[in-house]
Amino acid sequence: MNHSSNEKEPETIEPLRYLSKMEVATIETELLRDYRFGQQQLIEIWGHACAIAVTKAFPLSSLSKKQPTLLVVCGPEQNGSIGLVCARHLRMFEYEPTIFYPKRSPQSLHQAFTVQCEKMDIPFLSYLPTEVQLLNDAYNLVIDAILGPETEHKEVKEPYAGMLVTLRQAKIPIVSVDMPSGWDVDEPAKDGINPEVLISLTAPKKCATGFSGNHFLAGRFLPYDIQKKFELNLPEFPGTECVIEL
Amino acid sequence: MLGVRALFGIGLLVTSRGGSVLTHTGACARIASNIYGKDLTHRQACTMANTIKYLGQEEAQHIDEELFDEYSFSVDQLMELAGLSCATAVSKGYPLLSLLKSPPRVLVICGPGNNGGDGLVCARHLKLFGYEPSVLYPKRPSKQLFQNLTTQCEKMDISFLTEMPEADVIDEVYNLVVDAIFGFSFKGAVREPFGDILSQLKKITVPIASVDIPSGWDVENGCPDGIQPDMLISLTAPKKAANHFKGRYHFLGGRFVPPALEQKYQLNLPQYPGTDCVQQLN
Repeated sequence: MNHSSNEKEPETIEPLRYLSKMEVATIETELLRDYRFGQQQLIEIWGHACAIAVTKAFPLSSLSKKQPTLLVVCGPEQNGSIGLVCARHLRMFEYEPTIFYPKRSPQSLHQAFTVQCEKMDIPFLSYLPTEVQLLNDAYNLVIDAILGPETEHKEVKEPYAGMLVTLRQAKIPIVSVDMPSGWDVDEPAKDGINPEVLISLTAPKKCATGFSGNHFLAGRFLPYDIQKKFELNLPEFPGTECVIEL
Repeated sequence: MLGVRALFGIGLLVTSRGGSVLTHTGACARIASNIYGKDLTHRQACTMANTIKYLGQEEAQHIDEELFDEYSFSVDQLMELAGLSCATAVSKGYPLLSLLKSPPRVLVICGPGNNGGDGLVCARHLKLFGYEPSVLYPKRPSKQLFQNLTTQCEKMDISFLTEMPEADVIDEVYNLVVDAIFGFSFKGAVREPFGDILSQLKKITVPIASVDIPSGWDVENGCPDGIQPDMLISLTAPKKAANHFKGRYHFLGGRFVPPALEQKYQLNLPQYPGTDCVQQLN
């Protein structure tokens, strides 16, 4: 039996790191290239954890409408695919998601996620009504999985720019996946989404410093070496949980 | 006030059924309630009236094929969820604080196929949960997926053993053994080195947690003189062999079965609690 005989140094809890755009990209590259995670695997991990975070922020019993409906708005890149996986797991958790996915990624990797949702009988909207009242009435909340750290802030094109305008007027809560759409990774944007809830994946981004809504960290898979290398100082997840409220 | 049904009615919603845009109001409203209303009450009715289905080997293989071919799931997606279920079940049955030996060492034995892959994912999540897994992976498939899963484990400082320890060494060093050797595709004779490994496992006293099927058992009929695990983690749905399981813990994991698939095979899966990825069946 090994017992350490020296006194343990008092633990100084280092603050959680908020990542820059460069760091986000570097970590993801290392995960894929050096740690050999697969992209579909990561998206599954993120989407699953994201769905669990949504259930913590908005438990089924807390929803005000008769049916536990919600709208998941998915962009064309990875953030959108994470939204698709999130929608699928929310369906398994007895929520009633509807997806709006106007521009589908041509990559077969992302197409599989779409088929999986379709085969779960999750309805897809053919267009997003500009009349916000329709959304307010039909859904309890909106999940913003439009743009993530992979998108250049300056390049928000249509139809996304228009969608952001519509969503900004919604009276129902918005939950952003990883970062609010329209924001830059390093700083918030006035004309981006202002979500009530932010679900940061893996580690929070710089733009989330000072975020005043409910902030969750989702995704428990990061190898310790990466955590140490980037000095992430992630909080300890309780038990087997993969989501923690910050 | 407009509801989801109305959105269907004004032609805004498209569903996969038939793949066509629905514009007829009456049909839309019915389909809306069919999609979300029916599944839940159907499940509730099933679990009240019927017990969970135990699958035969062929059925299990058909379901697996459908998940990949029809539902477009990828192996690495489902393997990640399956492995997470296994690790979660282990932590429920054998919580860290309850383990007798320190450090919290666990031996994960991975076989040559997908069951082994589930074991690799399980080992990685056990490490994240605070356990100290070691992996024995004597026969590694050439597929990239398994190489990647191995690298992920190695990079998490999970040690890989070069040979199977003797039963008394296992009893001394490890708190439990995760048996991820053979799964529901297993048929026929046990090839080495797994025959020897299973012999050692029959002699150990620490608990065995088997992934999906106790290794060496016939997938439908069990095996009276095979290993006797303490825990069985059935994935997707239990197989007929589980009828012969006499251990303390039978968990169901792999919470990814689409409602339509569940209905097609009349799996009668009980409802998982909340967002849990496992549930105890016994």
